[in-house]
Amino acid sequence: MLPNPAKSQKNQIPSKLSEHSLIFDFRSFFMRTRNVAKENLVREKAIEMLVKEGFENFSVNKLARECHISVATLYIYYKDKDDLIVKIAMEEFSKMTDAVIKNFDPKQDFEQGLRAQWRSRSKYYLENPLAMLFFDQLKNSSYQEKIYECSTRGFKEKMGAFVKRAVAKGELDAMPLEVFWSIAFAPLYTLIRFHHDKQSIGGKPFQLTDKLLWQTFSLVIKALKK
Amino acid sequence: MSINLNHLFILKTNIKDETGKWLLKKFLDNHPEVQQWNLDLNDIDCVLRVVSPTLCYETIIALVNKAGFDASELV
Repeated sequence: MLPNPAKSQKNQIPSKLSEHSLIFDFRSFFMRTRNVAKENLVREKAIEMLVKEGFENFSVNKLARECHISVATLYIYYKDKDDLIVKIAMEEFSKMTDAVIKNFDPKQDFEQGLRAQWRSRSKYYLENPLAMLFFDQLKNSSYQEKIYECSTRGFKEKMGAFVKRAVAKGELDAMPLEVFWSIAFAPLYTLIRFHHDKQSIGGKPFQLTDKLLWQTFSLVIKALKK
Repeated sequence: MSINLNHLFILKTNIKDETGKWLLKKFLDNHPEVQQWNLDLNDIDCVLRVVSPTLCYETIIALVNKAGFDASELV
């Protein structure tokens, strides 16, 4: 009589074999070929689920199911739900700040620099609609401090240098950061939100065009530039 | 980020709340062979993650049992 392959295999398995299977799983997942596609899938699915279901209803188990990978595999990389959210948010935030700051020269004149910022920020958020919703969610959560503190170095320095230089050159009045941000970037984010919602005030259909974007930008420049 | 998989143990438990976590804490916090541990109370499997260069699944399960709970290797 032939042995039951499943049973005999199980009997022969030393307790460590399942660990080896984890190692294999993990290596193929994160290390062996550095499976960027899988890593991206985990990040994308996590953000999608967090935006859709909120932090409360999110779990590592649900994410593993969505990604068709084992729960244990995710726990190798992330300690728990909070650790997963913080790491993914930090990666996503760094991705955004890298995209926004790439090729940005803080020494350029104020209008030119702010225009470059509008271009890169609008490009990033139009291509990554969930990122904006995800960052909004993080802003209202207890994760915010940890994430922003670690991910904005370099970005903050470059932007700070740009604004300081504009003030020193007499292109811009000195003002609190919140005031500057409310005028310099809030209008842009409002337009992008309208665009993602496909509607503006009172449910009016809306699509962001280059013309509207740069019309708004010229008003922002008028308001800020001395 | 480097993770030594031979030192990492991931278990499913039935520890569902902070009280249970506190009971387990007594056994793991001061255990000389446990480098790091944490329990995900937000997950349906109440996953326990232990980093230890010397322990094995059986010993960790025995520690969880001592705290009054069940555990099994999560695969």
